[in-house]
Amino acid sequence: MSEPLAPPEPTASPEPTASPEPTASPEPTASQADSTRTGPGRLLVAVYGLFALSASARAGVQIATKFSHAPVAYLLSAFAGVVYILATVTLAVGTPTARRIAVVSCSVELVGVLAVGTWSLADPATFPDATVWSSYGSGYGFVPLVLPVFGLLWLRRWTRRSRARRTTVTSAEDAAAAADGGVAHGEGGAPGQGAEDVVADGRT
Amino acid sequence: MNGAVPTTIIVVGLALAAYALVMTALNRRMTVPLLAAVGVLEILLLVEVGIIVAKLAGGERPAGLATLIGYLIAAPLVPVAAALWGLMERSRWGPAVIAVAGLVAAVLMVRLHEIWPAIHV
Repeated sequence: MSEPLAPPEPTASPEPTASPEPTASPEPTASQADSTRTGPGRLLVAVYGLFALSASARAGVQIATKFSHAPVAYLLSAFAGVVYILATVTLAVGTPTARRIAVVSCSVELVGVLAVGTWSLADPATFPDATVWSSYGSGYGFVPLVLPVFGLLWLRRWTRRSRARRTTVTSAEDAAAAADGGVAHGEGGAPGQGAEDVVADGRT
Repeated sequence: MNGAVPTTIIVVGLALAAYALVMTALNRRMTVPLLAAVGVLEILLLVEVGIIVAKLAGGERPAGLATLIGYLIAAPLVPVAAALWGLMERSRWGPAVIAVAGLVAAVLMVRLHEIWPAIHV
């Protein structure tokens, strides 16, 4: 979707916190912000749900009524539908395990849309009927191409957030956990990137 | 006359999406006027479903009947699901969900026309 992003005002905290904190704190104590289904995730889950429904329903009808017409396309549509369902559910659940599955789903989805998109252009004969991922999702306004990117960005930010919090909470008494968090942070990039994340949060 | 309702749905859906996106951009939460607009869209969709069902009852059949029925079931659910999901969000992203519903309603009308050209847009 192409919604305009507001400038990074400090007051533009996406969280529904009642506290008058002017800083763009990424993680107020409100439990609502504590999940991948809130904030931008709300929109993400909605769009994922839409694609889960449309892709799987469409594949279901096609497989039931005219499977032999384009078996490869219809099976790929069904596969896409399953991946979308998985991503929708795991993003909505938002537990650490669910987030890990969501990362896999979004990655599979990104690889799928790129591979099937290329395949459908290189070998149109295999695709007499379109799939969700044909021509990189052009039949769906390229949303299938953009969606996994946003999904992965959202998941990455959220994972970092929880890691940072875990480090803050436990560092005093648990040096091992702190070290683990530090290493995990190092994976993502420079040490300064955590602060960058906080700023970026105000924008969403 | 036949195309008046789908055309209205497209206009209302796009206007709703624009309105909701402005609210998202201005960092507003869900409001009563926005919900009322969703209600208008829902009523229009139900009217359109009624028109198509009447057509089917009259004996006319499109090529992709199964797909059409799927659309008839899904279309009225979109604004309801978006309103419920959006209301659970107390931030700018609630209206963003509503924007998606508006766009989807407009797209659904175009797709309906593709499935069954007898449904004019």
